[in-house]
Amino acid sequence: MLNYNSPIKDQKEYSEIKISEVEPTLKLNLRGKKRDFITKIGKELSIIPPSDPNTSSGNEKFNILWLSPDEWLLYSNDKIDLKNTTLLEEKLFNEVSKSKIGSIANVTDHWIMLNVNGKNTFDLLSTGCPFNFNNFKNSKNAVTQTLINHIDVILHNKDLNNLNLFVRRSFSNHLWSWLNDSSRFF
Amino acid sequence: MSKDLRITNNKFIDQTTRISFKFDGKTLYGFKGDTLASALLANNIHLVGRSFKYHRPRGIMACGSEEPNAIVQVGSDASMTEPNTRVTEIELYEGLEATSQNCWPSVNFDIGAINNFFSPLIPAAFYYKTFMWPANFWKLYEYFIRKSAGLGKSPTKPDKDIYDHRYLHCDVLVVGGGISGIMAAKTAAKNNLNTVLIDDKINLGGTTLFQQNECFKINNTYSNEWLKKEIESLNSLKNLTIKTRTSLAAYHSYNYLLARENLTDHLDINEKKDKVRQRLWKIRAKKVIISTGAMERPLIFNNNDRPGIMLSSSIKKYIDYYGVKCGQKISLFTNNDSAYETAISLNNSGVNVNSVIDIRDKTNSIIVKQAEELGIKIHWKSSIVNTNGYKKINSIEIMKLTDDGAAVVGEKIKEQCDCLGISGGWTPRVHLFTQSGGKLKFRDEDNVFLPDKSELDQISIGSCNGDFELDDVIKNSVTLTNKFLNVDNNDYENLEIISSKETTKKNIWLLPSDKLLSKAKQFLDFQNDSTANDIKLALREGFKSIEHVKRYTTTGMATDQGKLSNMHALGIIAETAGVKMGELGTTTFRPPYTPLTFGAIVGRNVGEFFDITRKTPIHDWHVENKAEFENVGQWKRAWYYPKKNESMHDAVQRESKAARDSAGMLDASTLGKIDIQGTDASEFLNRVYTNAWSKLEIGKCRYGLMLNEDGMVYDDGVTTRLGENHYIMTTTTGGAANVLSKLEDYLQTEWPELDVYLTSVTDQFATISICGPNSKKILTKVIPDLDLSDKEFPHMSFKNASINNIKCRVMRISFTGEHSYEINIQSSFGKSVWEKCFEAGKEFNITPYGTETMHLLRAEKGFIITGQDTDGTMTPVDLQMDWIISKKKYDFIGKRSLYRSDTIRDDRKQLVGLITEDPKEVLEEGAQIVSEINKKPVEMLGHVTSSYFSPNLNKSIALAVVKNGKNLKGHKMFVPMKNKTINVTITDSVFLDKDNKRLNA
Repeated sequence: MLNYNSPIKDQKEYSEIKISEVEPTLKLNLRGKKRDFITKIGKELSIIPPSDPNTSSGNEKFNILWLSPDEWLLYSNDKIDLKNTTLLEEKLFNEVSKSKIGSIANVTDHWIMLNVNGKNTFDLLSTGCPFNFNNFKNSKNAVTQTLINHIDVILHNKDLNNLNLFVRRSFSNHLWSWLNDSSRFF
Repeated sequence: MSKDLRITNNKFIDQTTRISFKFDGKTLYGFKGDTLASALLANNIHLVGRSFKYHRPRGIMACGSEEPNAIVQVGSDASMTEPNTRVTEIELYEGLEATSQNCWPSVNFDIGAINNFFSPLIPAAFYYKTFMWPANFWKLYEYFIRKSAGLGKSPTKPDKDIYDHRYLHCDVLVVGGGISGIMAAKTAAKNNLNTVLIDDKINLGGTTLFQQNECFKINNTYSNEWLKKEIESLNSLKNLTIKTRTSLAAYHSYNYLLARENLTDHLDINEKKDKVRQRLWKIRAKKVIISTGAMERPLIFNNNDRPGIMLSSSIKKYIDYYGVKCGQKISLFTNNDSAYETAISLNNSGVNVNSVIDIRDKTNSIIVKQAEELGIKIHWKSSIVNTNGYKKINSIEIMKLTDDGAAVVGEKIKEQCDCLGISGGWTPRVHLFTQSGGKLKFRDEDNVFLPDKSELDQISIGSCNGDFELDDVIKNSVTLTNKFLNVDNNDYENLEIISSKETTKKNIWLLPSDKLLSKAKQFLDFQNDSTANDIKLALREGFKSIEHVKRYTTTGMATDQGKLSNMHALGIIAETAGVKMGELGTTTFRPPYTPLTFGAIVGRNVGEFFDITRKTPIHDWHVENKAEFENVGQWKRAWYYPKKNESMHDAVQRESKAARDSAGMLDASTLGKIDIQGTDASEFLNRVYTNAWSKLEIGKCRYGLMLNEDGMVYDDGVTTRLGENHYIMTTTTGGAANVLSKLEDYLQTEWPELDVYLTSVTDQFATISICGPNSKKILTKVIPDLDLSDKEFPHMSFKNASINNIKCRVMRISFTGEHSYEINIQSSFGKSVWEKCFEAGKEFNITPYGTETMHLLRAEKGFIITGQDTDGTMTPVDLQMDWIISKKKYDFIGKRSLYRSDTIRDDRKQLVGLITEDPKEVLEEGAQIVSEINKKPVEMLGHVTSSYFSPNLNKSIALAVVKNGKNLKGHKMFVPMKNKTINVTITDSVFLDKDNKRLNA
């Protein structure tokens, strides 16, 4: 029996800020340019990958975030049993990669998802993020790829003052410490 | 506090709350809302410091950031003390301690003042001229010069304060909260623009805030009362953010600005604890409105630097805002109407104004008439030719000016005074405009540089744009703001404005004296002690460019950046050289506008946040097992695992031996991993790597070298074919991000026809490498159902497998030359699999090893490390890896460059092995290699790139790059070191197991 180890295993609360790790969640990187690719993904997941930059689409199970004109990040809303993550991956891999219409790569452990919520969420991010959140924070389901304290992150605006943040696993400890340190001053 | 110097004025300071502070060890008192400057003046203290060069007594001169003289050391704590702080910008708080700078033993008795007596002998550039020889004595000179000059003391311990950064985006940023800035901010916010208004003071309002004079009225109310209502109305505007105590430090291209907000500097010491002291705002504004106002100029005359000589407008602010009289018998010296505002304010507050000395012939403006009606004596067409009083001014000497203003004539009148206000006109604060790249124009009428052209979306309004009369400020600001914001705001359309108009202007940059110029002390740059005479000397010595004169005389190079001195320096240069000021131009205005603390610049990037760190999924195990770490890129990699009292050398020797004798394990998770899919994946690899990939079978691995366009080795790694159109590429740890960017760039721009998709999966997998003769046995225990026979699982192949139902990929590849496997498994299970392997390997004495042992093991086999054995100038041929260059392929990145005349030279540096004559002598990496010891100049043939003592070979080994190295095998060479010369022999770069028997064992 192997032990599952997520890097954070914690949640913190500050003045109008809550930060928590939400793992394990399934994450797949989807890439494709062909129309068949979009059709296939739509058929398999009942979600059409969004074509508008920096947007997302989703249903009760999954979200698909636009990353570039031919790249999306799919993630599950709920925590999953990691042993079963390969089922969807294999299905999509067979339907997409093996059918030569695109690429499917499992990035479940590549990204760590943090949830940040509370009234001071965007003020916290602005302590280390050069992105202009003025429109983003009012656009539900908006997506952006930016830097927080020089670390690459993907942000998915779930709801008012409630977002999911994806950071590469190797950076997650550092970013977690940094976010907590920054939150002290709110 | 001297009761005589305070008047009742509770508008802006709280005279019911007394605050104690210490200055030069003496306990004094002020009120809440005071600055240190106003509190010192209220205590009748003008002498605050000594000047930089001549150690002349200096006092408070201004009331803002332009203060050149009164700079002090704040605090005495070794970690918190701060030098060079202007007393005019320090808000008074309980427990404040400040001391004078640049004096010893005290500000009242300063030994350094002897310099003043020798001042004729130490003119501008004295140090440059005197201490340039003998050159090697400079270290000695420097010590004494620095000790005698001094600019306060830096803290010697780490700063305990907390600093923060924050980004801010807005539609409109208004810099400066004077009357024009307030109107502009209100206009912007009312028109639904997200607006930010910043001001460095505690209160908005600028000088109009305390301008209560019949000559300045708006809609029949005093201008200050009208403005107060405007300020109150800002509170209801939702789109407006106001930041006071916030100083704009820098204005960069594309409307990117930096502002420092002081958050706790004004709080009592106990209240500051655990709070952010200063915050640096990084602002991106779509539009910027600069309304930074103007600075009053001093006048340049003999002995114009004594304590008690102050800017006239500052005297006005101290009385009208702080309720502090700067003196009991005040004289004023001016060339414009502003000083009369001060005279009236002083008169209204009951302060005796001796007289106003005005260089103009006569003027009939309303405000001057008002002053005359109050009985204030005016010396028209006169100048001050001298001042007296060593530690504080006690009298002035006045003479009549000639018609042309070039000389003084007639009787010298001596007037007793304890304070002198001077006003030489106004200089628009164009610093931010020019920092942003804006070009200035010169207005001859009143000798001012004004904003002209800018590439950015910005305007300047109010006094910083050359409007000095109240009605001009309001009307022009409104017009410019409406046009700039493309709005039609009528709020200020029908204002009735009463404003005194200045009808006569006269300017003399260097006022004449009854003494010879060389005998007079007419200070231009008060902080750096440069005089008009210094400027003239520089011109006589041939310096013409303002930039050269500035550096020769140090005018404008002090911490105040010449805010008060630059215009006069330019004026005197222009007059002396006979050129127009506008043609002369200005010196360069550089950020920051006012000094920034290092803390504000650094923010929270200190301690654990100094640099970003990356950790592998197995990091915690390494920590638990006492690994020492090294930084590789941002990664923290286990370097070696010392056992009790073991040195690094001993640990590495033990780990290396164990890996060769039985088994070793390495956390290789940091290697870059790129998932490659698409129908053209094989063709893509053909173009990326120097060798051929089309025929690589599914399930097989291949080593590849990636070149830059110039043919030099860029990266290397093993790529595995997982399926027909599916590969996984590994890259070097440090090169992973750059390789992915480069490949993606090629796909998007050079090879868009290829059907290939790349995904970074570096963090998806933990990589555990097990090597050594017993590695197979250990892996069999970990994955019992995997057939590890050489036939089924030969070297350079891969298998899908699972460990306790978790899928993984196992590659049989080796970076040590040993029989090795790499397990790639989801990162979440990496630590658990590592522990499982370690447990399984215990019976074989499996030994975890770090990067240092990894380096040694691969060097024994002659495997290169990109970036260590290569440096961006090595081709595959230089590395003696000709075998990896496909001759059949049509093209690959860098192919053409491999056949340039320079890259095919025989005498290029080539990778070789080195063996030392003494097998125990370990060479230093980076050491130079020569063939002849005594040849001069020394011909350096190459250098050592990797060097270790190999416990497995029981001798020292090294890799090196040597000119024409591959033809020099067996040749003796020398490695000269500081105290000895080491004899070496060039060998093959493979030291161990040349037949790869261990690899396939």
